[in-house]
Amino acid sequence: MENKQSSSPASFVDSTVVPGDVVLDLSSMTNQTIKLGGGLRQDCDAISATKAGTLRFSKPNKYWIESSQKRYVPCVEDTILGIVVDSKADNFLIDIKGPAMGFLPVLAFEGGTRRNIPKFEVGTLLYLRVVKANFGMNPELSCTDASGKAAEFGPLKDGYMFETSTGLLRKLLSSPACPVLEALGKKLSFEIAVGLNGRVWVNAASPDTIVVVANAIMNSECLSGAQQIIMVDHLLKNIQ
Amino acid sequence: MDARLANTWRLTLNEKNFIKTALLSEIRIDGRKPFEFRNISINFGREDGSAEVQLGQTRVMGIVTAKFVQPYRDRPNEGTLAIYPEFSPMADPSFEAGRSGESAVELGRIIDRGLRESRAVDTESLCIVAGKLVWAIRIDILILDNGGNLVDAANIAALAALMTFRRPECSLGGEDGLEVIIHPPEMRDPLPLIVHHLPIAITFGFFIDENVVVIDPILNEEAVMAGRMIATVNANGDICAIQKAGEGVSQRVIMQCLQLAITKAADITKQIKAAVEAYNSERALQKIKRETTCVGNNVKGDQNQTLDNKGISELVGKYMERLKLISVESYASQNISAEETKSLRRGTDSNCIKFNSTPLSWDPYSKCVDLEFLKASVALQGLSTASEEKEATGKEKGSEAESAGPYEDVNSKWSAVDASTTEMHVIGPKTLKDAVKPKNKGKKKASSVI
Repeated sequence: MENKQSSSPASFVDSTVVPGDVVLDLSSMTNQTIKLGGGLRQDCDAISATKAGTLRFSKPNKYWIESSQKRYVPCVEDTILGIVVDSKADNFLIDIKGPAMGFLPVLAFEGGTRRNIPKFEVGTLLYLRVVKANFGMNPELSCTDASGKAAEFGPLKDGYMFETSTGLLRKLLSSPACPVLEALGKKLSFEIAVGLNGRVWVNAASPDTIVVVANAIMNSECLSGAQQIIMVDHLLKNIQ
Repeated sequence: MDARLANTWRLTLNEKNFIKTALLSEIRIDGRKPFEFRNISINFGREDGSAEVQLGQTRVMGIVTAKFVQPYRDRPNEGTLAIYPEFSPMADPSFEAGRSGESAVELGRIIDRGLRESRAVDTESLCIVAGKLVWAIRIDILILDNGGNLVDAANIAALAALMTFRRPECSLGGEDGLEVIIHPPEMRDPLPLIVHHLPIAITFGFFIDENVVVIDPILNEEAVMAGRMIATVNANGDICAIQKAGEGVSQRVIMQCLQLAITKAADITKQIKAAVEAYNSERALQKIKRETTCVGNNVKGDQNQTLDNKGISELVGKYMERLKLISVESYASQNISAEETKSLRRGTDSNCIKFNSTPLSWDPYSKCVDLEFLKASVALQGLSTASEEKEATGKEKGSEAESAGPYEDVNSKWSAVDASTTEMHVIGPKTLKDAVKPKNKGKKKASSVI
């Protein structure tokens, strides 16, 4: 499929684009279905970028723009960490670090009925999934996966939460494991939950492990893989 | 409304509990020990009297300015000091533009008390005419980023700015001796404020029970702490001010904290002084650079009156030290207006041409006098170093005649008179009346030099 594409999209993939760049010309690609991810917008026959970042392509037909920000724009099917702010009759108000508060329906739990509505204190940290995210409306969240099972969603107990940028999060979630996490995982045992809205939760048996893991992750944003491993070694030597 | 709600920073229960439990084992979330301060970095702006302090993630800027006011009735001999804190909305989502809340007022009060009650800044030297005119020093504190512990950072910024601030020198003169003349910086070096000591604010945070104390709390710790104490102490061990909020603590803990504060204050004082020294020496270096490039030289005036050989060599020495030039009082014709800050910048020599800056107008067309004068004085010069300057001044004088002048403000009619070997004089020519006097005096000087 890449061969059939005109030269312009191929040259843009994996390179930096700025808002306004036309990255795909649909007139040259007929009878194809293309999926557009975040940061791309369709104007008749031209696909243009609305965010500054790198254009990425994954087979067979997904295009999206990757950038690192501190603000979060809710997208459907994202897993995020939210903080309970208030509970109303029908939903909980959740702070998801986005432009608007998220709504978590009280029934959106596995086996949730009107009789067993969970009670969350203000300030509880929840691991959630975004169900609906439309521009201008409050996003709707859920504590179950698509099939209705709990699947690790729900309140997180203990541990410590800190905030990072979205670029760092994607590195943490990338599939050959991120060097920082690998290096830390070899020596320490800890539990980690990454929310795509810029929040990371860490839990471990002892407080100093948590502090080391949290600081190592926060510092690894600008370092290359090898540097990250060196930094982790340093930190671990200091605590042992 | 919804947007503001969504933008507020919130603390989770997990964080609260974690911070408290970790502190019980003396672990802080950024890896510091309980009594460790974050790294302080002090940077200065291009203007005198502006400093930016970075304490970890907290960034605060302090700016000092001064102006004339009437003194308070009950203190007719003292200048005034006022602090204006501003919490910029870019520092924290909870800060609103315009009038800021209690914490801003509290911050301003703490710094104010530390400086005023302890008399750190000498206000009596700020008096110009008792009962009528004093300097009012204004310290603006701008919070750029809130990473916790704003008071300490703001205090350091205020002190650094005060130590590098320079106010213009002013003297009494004029016909009746009551006119106040402000000397522009090109003529006389602006003066620093007299700061007797540096009161440093140290913030302590108390958690669940009084035995858990931390110094320099960050944003998360501040949200969790139960009590807080800010002790303003100086390196000599004097306690200038104490502010206490929140849960009560026992006397023993307070005394321990004060001891600790004194040690920390000594460290921070050293850091501030080192940074100010570095800034001052760089500033002096810049001045020397300007002096040696002929044209753009500063004119400094001083109270010294007579042209004196001994005086010259002394003063040359002093010049190298302090870059202060002395001018002859004989030229203090009242007609010279030094208010025009567009004076030619020249290095003035320890020779004394004193010009008083008076707000009188002067005639821009009396250059001819200057030129002659200049030639006369130039003829006395013998040193090679002076020759460059001579040429430069000669050129400048020539161009002045067209009232175009070099880029460095050749508006004024300062003619440079070379009295010393290394520096040039600048005198302010005025009207034709004055034109006569300088000539005579120049000749006199020439004779005295020889």
